[in-house]
Amino acid sequence: MTKSIHRVTVEIRQIERLSDRVRMLELADMDDWELPPFTAGAHLNVHLPSGLVRSYSLCNDPAERKFYRIAVLREDEGRGGSRQVHELRQGERLLLSLPRNHLPLAPEGRVVMVAGGIGMTPFLSMVPVLERQGRPYELHLCARDSRADAFSALLAPMIRSGKLVRHYSGTGARLDIQALIAGIGTEDHVYLCGPERMISEAQSLGAGLGERLHMERFGPAGVGAEKAYVVKLARSGGNIPVTTGQTMLDALRAAGVDIPASCEAGVCLDCRTRFLEGSPDHRDIAMPVADRTSHLTPCVSGCLGDSITLDL
Amino acid sequence: MDHAVTDQKAVQTSWTGRVEFLHIAPRSFLPMRSMPCIELVAGAGITGDRYSTASGFYSDRPEEGRQVTLFEAETLEALARDHQIQLGPEDHRRNITTRGVPLNHLVGRCFRIGQVLLEATRLSTPCRHIEQITGKEIFTPLLHRSGLHARILTGGEVCVGDVVRPE
Repeated sequence: MTKSIHRVTVEIRQIERLSDRVRMLELADMDDWELPPFTAGAHLNVHLPSGLVRSYSLCNDPAERKFYRIAVLREDEGRGGSRQVHELRQGERLLLSLPRNHLPLAPEGRVVMVAGGIGMTPFLSMVPVLERQGRPYELHLCARDSRADAFSALLAPMIRSGKLVRHYSGTGARLDIQALIAGIGTEDHVYLCGPERMISEAQSLGAGLGERLHMERFGPAGVGAEKAYVVKLARSGGNIPVTTGQTMLDALRAAGVDIPASCEAGVCLDCRTRFLEGSPDHRDIAMPVADRTSHLTPCVSGCLGDSITLDL
Repeated sequence: MDHAVTDQKAVQTSWTGRVEFLHIAPRSFLPMRSMPCIELVAGAGITGDRYSTASGFYSDRPEEGRQVTLFEAETLEALARDHQIQLGPEDHRRNITTRGVPLNHLVGRCFRIGQVLLEATRLSTPCRHIEQITGKEIFTPLLHRSGLHARILTGGEVCVGDVVRPE
């Protein structure tokens, strides 16, 4: 059980309904103390009362020191976290991780942001920073239709200034990612946050952008093992079988190995573990490339061979 | 005249220092807030600070000798000079930042800040928690100079600028 002293404790100060399925929560300290700082594009883990932990992007201006805002889409067919967030009430207390940033804003250059639905959230923290810096930017919002668009009302000034372009697929105005990437300048940075399909498309079309293409998926990657393998524990000496469809984390837990884990979606890196032998199939979306030769994330990552040895 | 006694007294009174900064936070992880004065309560802690209400990161490992924590301003300067690490007095998460006080030498001794009497109980050790909060790799550079833990024997108000001296 997570102790409150080992997390940031906040209370829900306000809940705003942005659409039928999207709520925005404002989280603040009980004594209105400053909260740990964050940078544009950051996210944090929310510990829900049931014990589930979910990652959400911070969507307020990082210059606001006394509250965090998160916006959460209720996914009735999801894993349960978003439904629980939608049941939370004003005044309830929540435990949070410190903010972390796997989608930092590049220090210079024009910025083109593409949001698929609820993928708008990290850009809500970037826009105020870009405005202050006076940098050129544009934001593309992709949604099925105006009813599914929870954010336009928040961004009315940007619509008037032409910096926000809305693409409603239901009206045949789907964003042409190929054309968008073809128009990217040599110093521009492209940021995408959205569902897997959008990210995969951008990843293949935008490969030539190299490090100027920044992406954040939401929802867990395909996580279960495609074929069975064995996890060997170098220090404690056990051999733990991972069956088809099971995650390495689940197999370790079933064998009584206690691994700290939070998002269980390859984002937070709480479960990051050193490996000594074998070839991991890295499926996290957060670990620096340099760390991948020594560490893996058992919540989503697998094994390319028959066995892998962990430093446990 | 007994030279040994005279020499010992000279050593004991060979320094005085000052309080340069004061910081508290009501809960773990929250940024430390700079204060002009703080109130030390004998046998308890600092009014409004996390460790007086069992709300600190290490409050599940309570220590009677950790009612107030101190840190040398000179260490912050050494980190910048020798390791190019910019660490502010609000970053080290100890309550009282001193100048001119040989904190490491005070373990087991009593000293005063203004009218407040403290007993130094042990050296503070660096911790990963501060690295997690600051995002800076400071564990190793802070070895042996991570501050001092103390028990409050006589309480009272401590303000920036107060004189620190051996008892």
